[in-house]
Amino acid sequence: MIVPIVMSGYFSLTRYTVLSPPQWVGMDNFIKLINDDAFISSIWITLAYTLISVPLQTVVALVLADLLAKRFRNRFGSFVRASLFIPVMSSLVVVAVVWRALLGTDNGFVNSVLQAIGVDPVNFLGEPTLALVTVSLVTVWKNIGYFLVIYYAGIMEVPSELYEASAIDGANRRQQLWRITVPSLRPVTFLVVILGTIWSFQVFDLVYVMTGGGPGGATRTIVMMIYEAGFRNFQMGYASAMAIVLFGVILVIAVLQRKVMKTSVG
Amino acid sequence: MRNSGERRRRKTPNVATGISAVVLIGFVLIALLPFLFMAVTSIQRTTMITVVFDPAKFTLDNYVRVFADGGFGMALLTSVIVVTLACLVNAIVCSLAAYAFAKKPFPGSEVLFWVYIATMMVPGQVTLIPLFTMMRELGLLNSYLSLFLPIINAFGVFLIRQFMETIPDEMIEAARIDGATEMQIFSRIILPSIRPAIIALTVFTFLTTWNDFLWPLVSITNEEMQTVTLAVANLQGRYLTDFGLVMAGATVSFLVPLVMYLILQRQFVEGITSSSVKG
Repeated sequence: MIVPIVMSGYFSLTRYTVLSPPQWVGMDNFIKLINDDAFISSIWITLAYTLISVPLQTVVALVLADLLAKRFRNRFGSFVRASLFIPVMSSLVVVAVVWRALLGTDNGFVNSVLQAIGVDPVNFLGEPTLALVTVSLVTVWKNIGYFLVIYYAGIMEVPSELYEASAIDGANRRQQLWRITVPSLRPVTFLVVILGTIWSFQVFDLVYVMTGGGPGGATRTIVMMIYEAGFRNFQMGYASAMAIVLFGVILVIAVLQRKVMKTSVG
Repeated sequence: MRNSGERRRRKTPNVATGISAVVLIGFVLIALLPFLFMAVTSIQRTTMITVVFDPAKFTLDNYVRVFADGGFGMALLTSVIVVTLACLVNAIVCSLAAYAFAKKPFPGSEVLFWVYIATMMVPGQVTLIPLFTMMRELGLLNSYLSLFLPIINAFGVFLIRQFMETIPDEMIEAARIDGATEMQIFSRIILPSIRPAIIALTVFTFLTTWNDFLWPLVSITNEEMQTVTLAVANLQGRYLTDFGLVMAGATVSFLVPLVMYLILQRQFVEGITSSSVKG
């Protein structure tokens, strides 16, 4: 595992097409990257995708977990948790294929419903901004069950005396959520946010199948960029430089989030 | 376990609980309906994706075609072989390595372990190109080996080692004094106590291998070696609006993990969420 990482670093400093051996070019690839509008925009696109999906999936998972833990510690509750886990175990490719068909403009189900109620068809995957939002929402749909399970386990660990004492003091359910559940779950939230962010930066399957990076590159994320450079244009050195940048970004996020969470705890 | 806030709420609990239940059912429907669409469309003679089952339009033709034209039989076989190999090799390699790290410390083993664990943080996309080059140099592209080797990673070692820490060293010592061989110690004492960890790891390996897409996409150029997940994506690319056919492929690829999930629900959730230590 160490070897590929070192190789990645080395390739990023070379011109490397599949056919000829790597040629040392120093920092050329990185200089080219900074001036590559497509790459810069892929970073913004990935960031936007992250900023839509992570907060939404975190909040929804927390609210649902709280609801389940407070009111439905029964068979109905476990049925809900089990059902919401099904999108989690399904492959991203299946998810993308099905949602693409549901959202399509040619006989897609969602548009048939819209038409039936008199709304003009919406080209969910054909408009640049809308396509990115759509892909982000499908991600939320898939991830909720996962983070719900993590939050649910976290809530179970919160000492019930805290709730009992606050109830005696007259706290209502919303106050309990904000004053007890959310603060107690800070480490869990840290995990959920960091994991969600790192996953978001790795997004590929969903975009590849749902939009192919389109329309006009509007959903071309960083990994999509790496794939196109490395395996369509066979610029393996250039693609490795992108991979190193991605790695750097993920490391920075991990460190930053750790810092932010630490200061907000203390 | 219910907290007393339940009893002190101003609204009648039943109304609030009822509304919550409706909301939750809504979420369940949103989570499950797309799969229902997929399954119903796959057994219909139809030009659109549908959730209404019409017996008059019932057909298994989509499945016949997906296996005949889509090369799905071959893909299914490849996926089953690769997943089985990945699960077996991962369980064996990781439990042996974890045993060495946990119970057979050698100079520098602690450092080696943490360096190894650090590799877990590196996303597969970062090492994609070197992996591809290495496999190509070794002439392994388009082989079962190339499909399952990258799955073996530090996560399994980490997971199992944590479990092994709970086995008291005295137990191993006692067995050794009684004349047990290393093999016997491993198979009689270690293995039974790390069973839950191995099951969790196997579920995790199964699902990541079955659902893996990027690696097969770049490494498989021979159509006969494509995995089920890759085959589904290819179907969609080739027969975009032939919804029945595409959904039949998607259903097949979805059903295998689903059946496993329904049988091993608890282990599934544990196995997959235990990976949250990863990253």
